[in-house]
Amino acid sequence: MAASEDSKGEVANGAAMAAFLGAGIGAFAMGLMVILNEAGLFAAPALYAPAGGVSGRTTFAALIWVIGWVVLHRRWRGRQIESRRVHAATMLLIGLGVLLIFPPVWKLL
Amino acid sequence: MDTMLFTGRSLWTMIHGMALGGGALMGLAAALFSVRAMSAANASDTAAQRESRYLAWLTVGVAVLLWLTVLVGTYITFPPYRATPPEGLLDLSRYPRSLIQSNPGTAWLHGFGMELKEHAPWIAAMLATAVAFVSVRYRSKLLGDARLRSMTTALLAICFLLVSLAALLGVFINKVAPLE
Repeated sequence: MAASEDSKGEVANGAAMAAFLGAGIGAFAMGLMVILNEAGLFAAPALYAPAGGVSGRTTFAALIWVIGWVVLHRRWRGRQIESRRVHAATMLLIGLGVLLIFPPVWKLL
Repeated sequence: MDTMLFTGRSLWTMIHGMALGGGALMGLAAALFSVRAMSAANASDTAAQRESRYLAWLTVGVAVLLWLTVLVGTYITFPPYRATPPEGLLDLSRYPRSLIQSNPGTAWLHGFGMELKEHAPWIAAMLATAVAFVSVRYRSKLLGDARLRSMTTALLAICFLLVSLAALLGVFINKVAPLE
């Protein structure tokens, strides 16, 4: 597995940007699953009863992460992507995701 | 009379928290230091290639350890933690969640600590996987590209903070209500 190079011999950053933004999407999905569950709007079913709802929430978030990453990877691999905006979007999504899993935040609901 | 030093449940707790989680935390610290300390003006340089190969293996190891930590935590140690005690049981020592919630002074360990521990490490595992993927795919190019390095550093730092917080809360919870 190696990074692809463009005609100038520069390494296209698309696959890396897809991985980073995909991780941001996954983090946000985790936060969204938690806040929707706490707000009573959507409760992911327990996929493993002894673990309860966390098994469903985490599995759903992980699926969204994988799907988001695969879609982005297919579109961006081999391409040079403007990294500043991807960096900002990734940090924003991670920040929101982490904020939404924080109990003091969803206890405000 | 034989006395068991560790029960199966406490062994799994140690595997989850100390071996897997502790290993991931050490690996994260090493990766974070390495990605800042190593720099490669010339990505084709032999030393840079060797260093980036080590970094790639390190980040892959961290991602694997983190995924094992969250899977063991969610599916092996969490179920006995949250088990509901029989009605009227006074000794809650085998039911950590109920034991923690029975005391107003420790109830926050579940309401804040365990609730956070249920989800934060999963985010860390996703971030670590992205870093591992980039480290393997881009190898020495990662050390020579300022933007890639800065994004990798940011994700590793967030990962480190999330795992540290989860580990600290885990220590508190296990101190008050160990899984025995």
